[in-house]
Amino acid sequence: MKSLRTLFALGLFTAVCACTSAGSDDPAPSDPTAGGGQNPPPPVTQALSFDESASLLLQGTFGASMQDIGAVENTSASAWVEAQFSEPMTLHLPRVLQVLPGGLVTEPGGDRSPYADGAAVDSFLDAAVRSDDQLRQRTAYALSQILVVSGAPSAILHRRPHVQAAYMDILVRNAFGNYRDLLEEVTYSPAMALYLTYHRNEKANPLRGSLPDENYAREVMQLFTIGLVELNMDGTPRLQGGRPIETYTNDDIVGLSRVFTGFSYDAPTFWHAIETTPELAYAPLTIFDEKHSTEVEKSFLGTTIPVGTGGAASVDIALDALFNHPNVAPFVSKQLIQRLVTSNPKPAYVARVAQAFESGSFTMPNGTTVGEGRRGDLRATIAAILLDAEARTPALRNDPAFGKVREPYVRFTHWARTFDVNVAQITNQDTLWNAETSDRLSQLPLRAPSVFNFYRPGYAAPGTQTGQQGLVAPELQLLDATSIVGYNDVMATYIFITPGTRDGRPNTHFIPDYTDETALAADPQALVDHLDALLAGNRLEASTKTRMADMISAIEIGDATREDDLLGRAELAIFLAMTAPEYLVQR
Amino acid sequence: MINRRNLLANAGAAGILSASGMGSLLGNMTAQAADSSGYKALVCVFLNGGLDNYDTILPYDTASYDTFSDIRRALFDAYGTTSRARSNLLPLTPSNAADFGSREFAMSADMAPLRDLFNSGDAAIVGNIGPLLEPITLAQYQNSVDLLPAQLFSHNDQQSTWMALGPEGARFGWGGAFADAHLAGASVAERTFSAIGVSESAVFLSGEQVSPYKLTPGGAREFRVKDATRSIRPGLMLPASVRSQFQDHFSGAGAASSSLFLRDVQNIHEASIEANALFNGAMASAATLTTPFPSTYLGDQLRSVAETISIRNQLGVRRQVFFVSLSGFDTHALQAFTLPDLQKHVADAIAAFYQSTVELGEASNVTLFTASDFGRTLSANSSGTDHGWGGHQFVVGGAVQGGRIYGDIPPHDLGHDLDIGRGRLLPTTSVEQYAATLGQWFGLANSELNAALPNLGNFAQSDLGFI
Repeated sequence: MKSLRTLFALGLFTAVCACTSAGSDDPAPSDPTAGGGQNPPPPVTQALSFDESASLLLQGTFGASMQDIGAVENTSASAWVEAQFSEPMTLHLPRVLQVLPGGLVTEPGGDRSPYADGAAVDSFLDAAVRSDDQLRQRTAYALSQILVVSGAPSAILHRRPHVQAAYMDILVRNAFGNYRDLLEEVTYSPAMALYLTYHRNEKANPLRGSLPDENYAREVMQLFTIGLVELNMDGTPRLQGGRPIETYTNDDIVGLSRVFTGFSYDAPTFWHAIETTPELAYAPLTIFDEKHSTEVEKSFLGTTIPVGTGGAASVDIALDALFNHPNVAPFVSKQLIQRLVTSNPKPAYVARVAQAFESGSFTMPNGTTVGEGRRGDLRATIAAILLDAEARTPALRNDPAFGKVREPYVRFTHWARTFDVNVAQITNQDTLWNAETSDRLSQLPLRAPSVFNFYRPGYAAPGTQTGQQGLVAPELQLLDATSIVGYNDVMATYIFITPGTRDGRPNTHFIPDYTDETALAADPQALVDHLDALLAGNRLEASTKTRMADMISAIEIGDATREDDLLGRAELAIFLAMTAPEYLVQR
Repeated sequence: MINRRNLLANAGAAGILSASGMGSLLGNMTAQAADSSGYKALVCVFLNGGLDNYDTILPYDTASYDTFSDIRRALFDAYGTTSRARSNLLPLTPSNAADFGSREFAMSADMAPLRDLFNSGDAAIVGNIGPLLEPITLAQYQNSVDLLPAQLFSHNDQQSTWMALGPEGARFGWGGAFADAHLAGASVAERTFSAIGVSESAVFLSGEQVSPYKLTPGGAREFRVKDATRSIRPGLMLPASVRSQFQDHFSGAGAASSSLFLRDVQNIHEASIEANALFNGAMASAATLTTPFPSTYLGDQLRSVAETISIRNQLGVRRQVFFVSLSGFDTHALQAFTLPDLQKHVADAIAAFYQSTVELGEASNVTLFTASDFGRTLSANSSGTDHGWGGHQFVVGGAVQGGRIYGDIPPHDLGHDLDIGRGRLLPTTSVEQYAATLGQWFGLANSELNAALPNLGNFAQSDLGFI
C-alpha cells in the first residue's frame, strides 16, 4: 500500500510538473473579492504551500497523507485538478461481481450472503480510501447526496448490492461528464426506479381506477433539477411582490407523472420475472410503450408532449425540458459547492460556478480550459468550484461564515487515508457495517434515511450562531448529544490499535501506520504541531494545542515499555486532533 | 366558509369574538403567564412520508365501503380477500356517531390496539387536519395561491410546516414554543430536558429558548475514552488526568475563533456533554417499568419517553415535549404490503406507551398525538397512493375526551367540495387549531398560543375540545 501510494504520488507529481510548465505564465494574484457573476476574478495561482495543498486536497479528496500533500506542494491547484481528470476511474459493479458473481446475493449454500448487505458500500469505502481517482470518487459521493438512493435496512434497495453498485457507477462515470447524461442514466437506473417507485409504474388504467405514480415526477423536479422556487444565477430566489415564485404546480406533477410510466427490466415483457437473468436487475431499464401513457397529452412547465408519443421520446423531451430550465445551473452548482467547500457560498461564487455549468467550459488559472463546451459539463463545474478564489484564498477562508462542518464519513476516510490503513474493507467490521446510525458515524454512502439525504442543503440549525446569522449548516443536522458520543467512540475504536480482535472479531483490517507520529511522540508539542498541519489545516487554537500536549505528556514513557508508550501517545494525539472542534470544521 | 380575517376586518373584532366564544379568553390575554403547575408531557408521534388517511379511517357502512373499494379496486385487489374485507374491519363506535348520519367508520385489524383505545374513550380522532393559513374553499384553492401554505405536497416542506408552520428552513417549532412558555424560573435541568427528541432533533422541538435534547433508546451514553474501568486498548490505560480533560477538549474550552461554525460546534458539544451527564445521573435512580413494549423502532423510542417521564422528579421537570417518529408512510408503491405492518407497528407502540403512563400514574398528564406530512390521494396508482393534503390524526391519553371524532371525515369518494383532485383533501381543520387545543391543555396562556401559532386568529375555534 505504502509503495503504491508513493508511486501514485510520483506519477501525479510528474503529470503535474508537465502541466505546470505548460501554464507557467499564471496571472498574478489579484483582489479576490472583486468581480461579480459575469467576470470571475482571477484566482490565486502561485505554487501551493503545504497548507494550501492540504486545503485543496481536503476539499477534493477523502483525505490526504503526508505524501499526498507533498506531491501537490509547489505545483498549482489547476495542475492537480487537471491530473485528477485523467486518472483512470474505479468502478464498483465489477468489484461487487467479484465477491457475489452472477448478480446473485445468495451464497453457494443457498443462504443469502450477509455480505449482500454491504458489498457496494464496501467497494465505495475501499475506493474512497485507496483509489487514486479521488476527485472523481469524491464528486460521485457528492452527487450521491443530491441524486439520492438508499440501501438503508428499511429501503427497497437493501441487500441489492449490484443494483447499488451499478448506480454508484453511473455517478462515478458521469462525475466528469455531463449532468444531462447523468440525469438520463439515473432515470433509467433500476436503483432510482425502485427507490422512487416508478419501476413498473403503469399508465392510467380505467378498469383498475389507477393513475400514474407521481413520486418521481415530483422529486426529479424538487431535488434533482430545478428545485421549488425560481432562482437567479447566483442561487438566490427570484422574488415577486416579496415572495418566492414556485417553479411548478400540482398540475405539472400530474402531467409529468405520465412520462415516467412503462419502465421495467429490459426483458421480453413488462412483468417478466428475472430470477434466471439476474444481470437484468442492474442493467438500464427499458420502457414498454403499451404500459406508457400515450393516449393523453403530457403537459408540464409549458411543455406539451403530444398524444401518441412513445416512452423513450417522451422521457427525452421531459428531461430536456427540465435540464434546460434556468434553475438547474445554480441549483446543482450551489449544492456541489456545499458538499466540497462551504455551506454558504457567496452569491457571486455560485454565479461563477453556475456560469461554468452553463457554458460547459472553464478556463483554469493555469490557462488550460476544461469542459466540452456543452451546458451541464461537470468537469467545468468541479474545476470552477475548487479553483475559485473563495475556495483557494486563505484570507477568504478566514471569513467567520466560511466553511462547513466536516461530514462524519469523510472524517473517517480522512483518518484511514492519512494513516494509510492496510485494508479498507468492512467485511469483518461490525462498527462500520451500519455506521449510518447516530450512535456510530451518522452517515454512510448509499444509506441516507430518505431521498432528502442525511441533511438538507437549506438546514438552519436551531439555537446556533450560524442560524441566528441566517446561515445554513447542513451537516449540523447530524450533530447532537447522541452522535457526538457515537463519532468519538467509532474514532476511538479505530485510532487506538487493538491487535488481535476488534468488536470481538479477528482484527486484520484498518490497521494504520503511525510511524511518523510515533517518531515524534517523545516531543508532545512537536507531535501536536505535526497533526495540526496534517489534519486540521493549522486551525487548532493555542489553548487546544497546549491542552493536547499536556494530555499526551500524561502518558509516561517507561524504559521497558517505551515503544508501546510512544505508540499510545501517537494514538491519543491523533484521537485528540480528530475530535477537536477546530478539526470538525473545514475552513 | 368563513374567512375569519375578513370578518375581523369588516365587522370589528369584539362582536365576532364574543359570537365565537373567544371573547372571554382574549379578555384574559394581557400579561398572562403559562400555568406550569403539576407535571404535563406532550408526545408527538410523527409518521414520516404521509399517512394514507383513507386506508386508516375506513368507511364501514355498506354504501360508503362499496364506493371506496370500487375507487380503490387496484389496491383492494392487492390486499386480497382478508385484510380490508369489510367483515374483517373493526368498527368505530364514536359517541358522536349521529353527526355522520348513515356513515360509519372502521379501522383495520392491524390497528386493533388503537381502535380499542378509541372505543374505550382514551383516544380521539381528529379528522381532515392540515396546514392552513385561513379557512378556504375549493374555489379559493383553485384561484388564490396567496391563500395557500407554501410548498404543498412536498415532504420536507410539509413536515416543516406541520412542525414549525413554515417550509424547510423554519427555525422554531410549536413544540419548542410550548416548552419556552414554561421556562420562567426554570432550573438548568428543566431548560435542558423540556424538549426531547428520541429519533431526531426535529425543528418541532426548537424554541426561541429551548434546544432539543437528543436521546438514544437505552439512555444517554458516555464517551468510551472516559471509561475509568477498562483500558482503551490492551496495554493502554488512559491516565485520570487525561480522562478529566476530555470534556474541555471536546467542547474546545478556551478556543476563541471568529468562525461561527466553530462556535456552534463548541456550544453543541458543551451543552450535550453536560446534558448527558445530568441525564445519566438521573437515570441511575430510575425504577424499572414493567409495561411490555414491542421491540420495534417506535416501541423503543416510546419506551425511552416513558423512562424519561419516570425520572421527571429526579430531573426536576414540570413540562416536557417529546418527539418520536417512524418512516415508511410514503406508500407510492406496494401499499398493500407495507402499510398494514406500519399500522400495526404504530398501534402496538402507542398502546404500550399509554399503558406505561397508567403504570406511572401519569396517564392524565401525558398526551400523545400523531402528525404526518399530509394525507394521500383517494385514487390509487399501480400499487399505491400519492401525496395529498388533509389527513386524520389520533390523540391518546387519560385527559383526552376520547371515543369521539372531531373535525370532518370527508366522504371516501371523489368530486365533492373538499376534493382538490384525485381525492386529495382540502383540510377543514388547521394544524394550528390542533396545536392550540393541545397547548391550552399544556397550560399556555392565550397570548402565548397566539404568539406560537400566528394564523390561529384566522380560525373561529381555537379549542377543538378533544382534551
